Amino acid sequence: MNNSLTLLGLLSREPSYGYDLKHSYDRYFGAGKALAFGQVYSTLARMVRDELIRALGEETGGGPDRKKYEITVAGQNRVREWLFTPDVPSESLQSELFAKTVVALLLDDDADRLLDVQRGEHMARMRELTRLKKDADLLRVLMCDHGLFHIEADLRWIDLTSARLTQLKKELQSA
Amino acid sequence: MNPGLLKLAVVGSRSAYGRLAGIAGGVAAGVCLLLLLWGGANGLSARDDRGSWLRETGRPSVAASPTEDPTTSGPGTPVPLTTDTVLMEANPVEVFRDQLINRRDVAAFSTTTVKIPGIVTPPEPGRYYASPALQRLIASTPRDELGDRFGTFAGTIDDNALPGPDSLIVVTGATEAELRQNGRAVLVSDFTTNPYGGSTAAYNTVLSIGAIAVFFPVLLLISIVTGLGAAQRRERFATLRLIGASPQVVSRIAAVETAVPSLIGALLGVVLAIALRPAAAQIPVNDTRMFTADLVTGWAAAAAIVALVVSASALVAAHRTARAGIGPLGVTRAVHEKTPTKWRIVPLLAGLAAMTSAIAITCTPHLRSPWLEMPLLIGGFALILVGIVVVGPWLTRLVSGMGLRQARSAAGVIAASRIQRTPVATFRSVSGLVIAVFVVSVFAGASSIIESTEAPPARPGLLQPTSLHATVGAGHTPAQVSSAARQARGLPGIRSATIGYGPAALSTRDASPEIYLRAADAPALGFQDIPATEIVTVDTSFLYSWTTQPRALTPAPAANLDEMVPVVIVLGTDGTPEAIDRARTLLNSSGVTAHPAATSRDTGLQSSTRLIQGLAVLAYLGMFVAVAIAGLSLAVSTAAAILDRKRVLGLMRLMGMPVSVLRRIITLEAAVPLLSVLLLSVGLGFLVAWLMVTGINDSYRMTWPAPDYFTALGLSLLLAIGAVTATFSLIRGTTAMTTTRFE
Amino acid sequence: MNANDTVAPILSARGLHHSFGQTEALRGIDLDVHAGEVLAVMGPSGSGKSTLLHCLAGVLVPDGGSVTYRPAGRAPVETSALKEPKRARLRLTDFGFVFQFGQLLPELTAADNVSIPLLLAGTRRPEALRRSRELLERLGLEGLGAKLPGELSGGQAQRVAVARALVTSPAVLFADEPTGSLDSLASENVLTLMLELVREAGTTVVIITHDARTAAYADREVIVRDGAVGASYRVSA
Ligand SMILES: Nc1ncnc2c1ncn2[C@@H]1O[C@H](COP(=O)(O)OP(=O)(O)O)[C@@H](O)[C@H]1O
Ligand SMILES: [Mg+2]
Repeated sequence: MNNSLTLLGLLSREPSYGYDLKHSYDRYFGAGKALAFGQVYSTLARMVRDELIRALGEETGGGPDRKKYEITVAGQNRVREWLFTPDVPSESLQSELFAKTVVALLLDDDADRLLDVQRGEHMARMRELTRLKKDADLLRVLMCDHGLFHIEADLRWIDLTSARLTQLKKELQSA
Repeated sequence: MNPGLLKLAVVGSRSAYGRLAGIAGGVAAGVCLLLLLWGGANGLSARDDRGSWLRETGRPSVAASPTEDPTTSGPGTPVPLTTDTVLMEANPVEVFRDQLINRRDVAAFSTTTVKIPGIVTPPEPGRYYASPALQRLIASTPRDELGDRFGTFAGTIDDNALPGPDSLIVVTGATEAELRQNGRAVLVSDFTTNPYGGSTAAYNTVLSIGAIAVFFPVLLLISIVTGLGAAQRRERFATLRLIGASPQVVSRIAAVETAVPSLIGALLGVVLAIALRPAAAQIPVNDTRMFTADLVTGWAAAAAIVALVVSASALVAAHRTARAGIGPLGVTRAVHEKTPTKWRIVPLLAGLAAMTSAIAITCTPHLRSPWLEMPLLIGGFALILVGIVVVGPWLTRLVSGMGLRQARSAAGVIAASRIQRTPVATFRSVSGLVIAVFVVSVFAGASSIIESTEAPPARPGLLQPTSLHATVGAGHTPAQVSSAARQARGLPGIRSATIGYGPAALSTRDASPEIYLRAADAPALGFQDIPATEIVTVDTSFLYSWTTQPRALTPAPAANLDEMVPVVIVLGTDGTPEAIDRARTLLNSSGVTAHPAATSRDTGLQSSTRLIQGLAVLAYLGMFVAVAIAGLSLAVSTAAAILDRKRVLGLMRLMGMPVSVLRRIITLEAAVPLLSVLLLSVGLGFLVAWLMVTGINDSYRMTWPAPDYFTALGLSLLLAIGAVTATFSLIRGTTAMTTTRFE
Repeated sequence: MNANDTVAPILSARGLHHSFGQTEALRGIDLDVHAGEVLAVMGPSGSGKSTLLHCLAGVLVPDGGSVTYRPAGRAPVETSALKEPKRARLRLTDFGFVFQFGQLLPELTAADNVSIPLLLAGTRRPEALRRSRELLERLGLEGLGAKLPGELSGGQAQRVAVARALVTSPAVLFADEPTGSLDSLASENVLTLMLELVREAGTTVVIITHDARTAAYADREVIVRDGAVGASYRVSA
């Protein structure tokens, strides 16, 4: 899962302090594995450098945690690009997709479309694997099946999530 | 059992209501019929009890006096009439139109202590008591055709001495001298209460066989309706098993869920039977309708039938469910029925053997005993009924096996395959009809013995059917007879009055075997070859109704009628019933006749086969009941066959099978088992009829069945077609493609 | 770009609406099925997939909209305007059907079950049986022609059903969750054998499934949600 893009996505809701940003992140994604402050600040510094965000004037006693950040237009474009570009199905995908969905919902963006786009990518990969299976030796078939079942698990999650989007959105927005 | 579970089982779904309604309706019809038939049987015996006094034969009114010559008997001395006896004579041919009137002439002292059933005191000479039906007939008919025979009306005979509301019975008063004239009057001190005389055993045998024949289809109907919706129920029971119900619990649920609608149906049947009683009483059996009260069975009988039907259906349901072996995952045992084997023919053969041995015993005089024959006949009959139902599936399977190999069409293949795999279930649909046809054939065969006595045609040399004859009693002068003849000629519709002469009255010992006639009178008797003498003779057998060979006239040139006495008077009529009845009334009241006047047709009305004829009417009645029930059960089981395969038939339609093919499948599934066992049924029916008839009385013979039989057979087939076509609309509805939606 | 776009689709549905009483099963569906393609119809239960298939196959007449069938070498017909006997005939000769379960007549042998559509179409029985046995053999069921459905495993029974659907060489095969009650291996078996036969004959297939691995055998899928078609993803050729 791409932490910096996730943080960027969270920031695109409204300008926030690094401290608040970390807590937001932990609430949605940090179950079991909270983000370290250092990691948040270094990521933010890197994004400032890339002009995806900028700092909004300093307050008294100004440590890095007292800075408020705001997303730039370039940053906003980057977030959207990230959201609607399907990922190649892989084992590590799920957390990423999860993050994208949550972010899209928080941004009130079209999470449905995001899931559908990903679903199409998954199906295409499955068709490819299925085609590979044809006339292949058993070992290869087993390998393809391994991939197929994993993608299928993702797909099931996608199906279930799309069925629960409305509910999920309500819950996130009230939180 | 948990009441909630029970409720779920009994009315689990909406379709369950249809099944419950089906069971309740079928059981109601069955119980109603059972009660009416039971009432009918009771009514018949009550009726025979009330009419038993008519069978009283009394004691001779003349005692043979000892003579020196043991080979002859003397003239006899009259036994005197006392105050504890009445003198009674029965007229065996008191006929009006084509109805036999039961006539008793009685003479009694006014102080007599004998009570004649149904009337207060014996009528005085010239007066009569009549049954209400007869009195209505007398009142609505010109007196010279009927009323003049009896005298003046004294009162009606009470219902408790009448078999039925249509019984024609008359008790007329006469003088002692009149009744003693021909020596046939008897002395009666007490009227018998034994309704059957000597034929009780035969009567009971026929009645029992009739009862079995009619009750069996009713039982089949009940068994078919309680099996309704078996497929859906199996699924439901499987679900119950899955959630933890033991096989015993499921069996018990099956019993209860059948018992509940059966109970409702049975109670409904009782109500229905009570409501239909007046209508059922209108059906004439043995020439008369029933008194409605005769059909009453009493609450004990009704309760017994209800209890029997309900417990039997519950037990059958429990047993069927237990045997189906429903596991938590559906039916485990025997998805397909056990293939019927050739052993199924055993009960049928055993039944035939029992009946045949009954006949063998009948034909071996020293073995004869009703206690051996009756159980063999009745048991054999019951075994044959069961045997047909048992052997049916095997035969059906045999035929469908051949059919499957030959089948060309989709409908043929599907129907033949289904029959091949489920011969028992398919045969069950038509078993009712097959049994009905068997029963009908038995009755038709049995009643053909009476049907064969038909009126002889008019032929020269035989007594004309339109003429009426009476022998003249001893001691009447030619002038008296001639005056009666003259009077007759004056009546409308009477064409001729011929007097035959002889040396002495026919009933006396000096009577000659010939009757002397004037040649001029011969054409009026229907003769054509008339010898050219003034006087001719004809054999006395000319007068007998059983004579079928024409008799010829022989010339008697030397005879002189003036030296002879009149022995017979023959009235020729125009053949109208009115004229014949007028002639009869005149002759019987003229006082010159030795026997009541008779026509050659009368014998058919008083023949000894009347008992069986009466039963045959009952039998035909039973047959219609059987056929109707059979049609009903065919419709019910055809419908069930569709409902049980609703899903797969619906899918076939979805795949493009036209409805017409479905109709053909259903038709074939009914037609194959029906036709393969129908011929056997017909053949067996007649065989059994012949066995029965000869078993009861070996002097009876069977002939070709009456047209009624073919009507009944046609009716059965029509009903079958009707029953099957009635379900066609069901096919369209239940296999509609939306029923397959749970995909 | 797919070559199919240039020729008219073999089946096209326009503005399909259908209700069962209060339930609106289809609410305005447009769909094209191209000749020779294998189309998967996916979607949650109760979304109207079966209803859509029934409308496409001329089993149901939609309350609104039209379905046009364009058989090769014959004039196009608007199936939604035909009377039931004509549609029944069309289903018999041009379409084949496979369902989830319980579609075989339990009293008929496998070979007889397969031969029924041929008999209905007027083929003589010996010929029909010969072709049925041949097809059963191709589906890996040699020697099982005389067995009753109750004596076959689920996968074998489904293959018999496939044989019956394909025995008349239909132009379109409709399959409603054909592997819904089979395990993975059996369903893979049924699908590969079925698709092999289908691709060889150039038969068009509409297959309903909510199983992605089954849908992966298709060239394309549509998703039905609440009686309307969602996204449709073309395989990138
Ligand atoms: N015959 C019917 N009667 C009433 N409702 C029906 C009928 N067939 C389908 N439906 C309803 O229409 C909707 C769509 O059904 P269906 O097409 O079978 O869905 P799917 O196949 O996608 O599971 C469902 O809500 C279902 O309950
Ligand atoms: Mg469906």
